[in-house]
Amino acid sequence: MCRNHATVRSLLAQLVGTSTGPVVADMEAGLENFSRGTPRHVDALVVVMEPYFRALETGARAVELGRELGIPRVEAVANKARTREDELAVREFCESRGIPIAGWVPFDEAVLQSERAGKALLDHAPGSPAVAAIGAVADALTP
Amino acid sequence: MRIAIGGKGGVGKTTIAATLTRLLARRAGGALAVDGDSNPNLAVALGLSQSDAMRLPTVPRDVMERRTDVDGEEKLMLVASPEEIAKRYGVEAPDGVRLLILGRVGHAGTG
Repeated sequence: MCRNHATVRSLLAQLVGTSTGPVVADMEAGLENFSRGTPRHVDALVVVMEPYFRALETGARAVELGRELGIPRVEAVANKARTREDELAVREFCESRGIPIAGWVPFDEAVLQSERAGKALLDHAPGSPAVAAIGAVADALTP
Repeated sequence: MRIAIGGKGGVGKTTIAATLTRLLARRAGGALAVDGDSNPNLAVALGLSQSDAMRLPTVPRDVMERRTDVDGEEKLMLVASPEEIAKRYGVEAPDGVRLLILGRVGHAGTG
């Protein structure tokens, strides 16, 4: 048993009703997490998807595995869509797999600029479309 | 509310996780970010400087200990409460976010 996965899993399991407030775990990329049950004890799993086939397929598998773990809420966030066609591709894919979409974060040059500058998106471009869209995801996730 | 952010590599997980954490922290008066990625860059995405991010404390391996439970089964268990761990090993980030970094240590021998 890899200790990192076990530590993240145990932390998430015990972080219920604690003084730390909301908890957001940035998981390791890919699917290994799920076979180790790392995100078992969360209230929501957000699977980020890009509008190209392999990201959608991996995302759909993550959604499936998250549901198998018994996570109460499993939703996709569509990221980096540039065109109506991109949006449509994600929408149709998620509809066909029965995956709810918690939000749409458009392709945004500000994200690349903030990465190049080594800064937080929220500090570099607080008024950017991407920040507004992530705010809408926060709204969708909080009761 | 505990939220895990997953997906294929390179899809923008970390930017979304960091921004979401700070926006939730503004509303709730604080939040905890957990960096479970083996190539952590959540610190920079949260707004810490790149030079600071290079030398942040990580959660040490020995917060988990092998213990035998009531059924005689050996399990890895946390040796302190999550709050205590967040206090001890967490790093301050903007908007009242506390960041816990895991995964920077190699997986060798632990697999």
